[in-house]
Amino acid sequence: MTDFLNHPAVQGGVAPLVVALVVALLLARSRLAWLAIIAGYLTTIALSTGFQFSPLTASRKIVLASVVAAAVGLAADIVRAQGRGLATVLALVAGASSLWIFASVLAQRQGSALYIMAAGIAAFVALLTASVQTLRADGLRTGAAGVGLGVAVGVCAIVSASIGFLLTGIALAAASGAVLLAQVVFSRAVPAGFTGAFPIAVMAGLFAAGTLTLAELPWYALPLMLLVPLAARLPVSERLPPIARAALLVFCTLVAAAFPIAAAWYAARGSLA
Amino acid sequence: MSKRHAVLFLAALPIAAVAAPETFTLDPYHTFPNFTVDHLGLSTIHGRFDKTTGKVTLDRAAKSGSVDIVIPTATVTTGDADKGSRARSRDDHLRTADFFNVAEFPQMTYKASKISFNGDNPATIDGELTLLGVTKPVPLTIVRFKCNPASGTSKERCGGDATGKFKRTDFGMKTGVPNVGDEITLLIGFEGNKE
Repeated sequence: MTDFLNHPAVQGGVAPLVVALVVALLLARSRLAWLAIIAGYLTTIALSTGFQFSPLTASRKIVLASVVAAAVGLAADIVRAQGRGLATVLALVAGASSLWIFASVLAQRQGSALYIMAAGIAAFVALLTASVQTLRADGLRTGAAGVGLGVAVGVCAIVSASIGFLLTGIALAAASGAVLLAQVVFSRAVPAGFTGAFPIAVMAGLFAAGTLTLAELPWYALPLMLLVPLAARLPVSERLPPIARAALLVFCTLVAAAFPIAAAWYAARGSLA
Repeated sequence: MSKRHAVLFLAALPIAAVAAPETFTLDPYHTFPNFTVDHLGLSTIHGRFDKTTGKVTLDRAAKSGSVDIVIPTATVTTGDADKGSRARSRDDHLRTADFFNVAEFPQMTYKASKISFNGDNPATIDGELTLLGVTKPVPLTIVRFKCNPASGTSKERCGGDATGKFKRTDFGMKTGVPNVGDEITLLIGFEGNKE
């Protein structure tokens, strides 16, 4: 059993998928189903690195930030906060928070390199968060974005020499896929709201920024990652059954995910071959 | 002071001079922390850090001493620096947050304020390793030690080998365990010139 749980495919794929699916199916009739995202991610953390917060490294701050993002998103939906105003504020807060999360890495840089990296990371996380949150009214589009972003971050991470962010990226994809599956099973779309969209955006943004700062992801993969939530906005007929809509949207986001993956591959190999 | 006390005082002076603590600056060209780790239960991977700086203080009369070593973690190498047709080499991977997290923790240190002697030679070092921001005791056993006396323009030079073991998970380095072993065996070859 221990060998089974120690396998990376179980830690990053099977376990978060199963846990997220159980949570999503149990809560499928409400927006709380989107708590499956954080449940899947925390399952991977529990099986891989465990919950240890001293010293508070950038990777451990990402765990805390993900939990806070899920709680903030849930709170925003509970108080029925609406409108672009809150989405903009949350995106700006997420971007600013990334500076605290990567402060220990940024502190090793000096001069213009410090300011360029800090501004770049904050802008990327804020833009990704804003972009994903525009999908929050459509559960299938948000789920598809989560799958695409998780795959993009996970594959970029392994190409960039990071097993840690590979596992968490694939866990995000698996958990998002589980919520999509629950919607398909019940033939009922569950709007993601801030409960789903905010943590998906924050987690994907921080995983990607972590792969940039703590591993070897090239900077130009980050703007390409913004294509994924854009792909989830492509027109797909509302008349299609949920399973067909979900499949089409996931296909679109996976095609978009190929761009940052190609960038990471190019940086590692010097060519796309 | 009586004449007798003055004679005793003068006689003791050379002994006091010998008893003074001596400081040795580690020679970075002949000081390398080497390590081994099990791989898949099949073989042993060997690695080392290519740069080490620090000082060792010895008080051979009092049989005590101290150690203060700084190791840049980016200098880790396991003989796999060329990625070839792969996306990344093993040494590239070792520098990421999965292992030594060079971007966040560019240095590891080893500090000791207690050195035990066996006869005239240092035998064990009760020091603490700081790795990935975690400080834990890691005792070292000195398996070989010798000093060459100063001659001509050369200063006294001492060197030896020290060994020790620790678990990397104690320092939060959990990636790959148990496929890549948890127990790390250290073999540190060192040489230093007396200041």
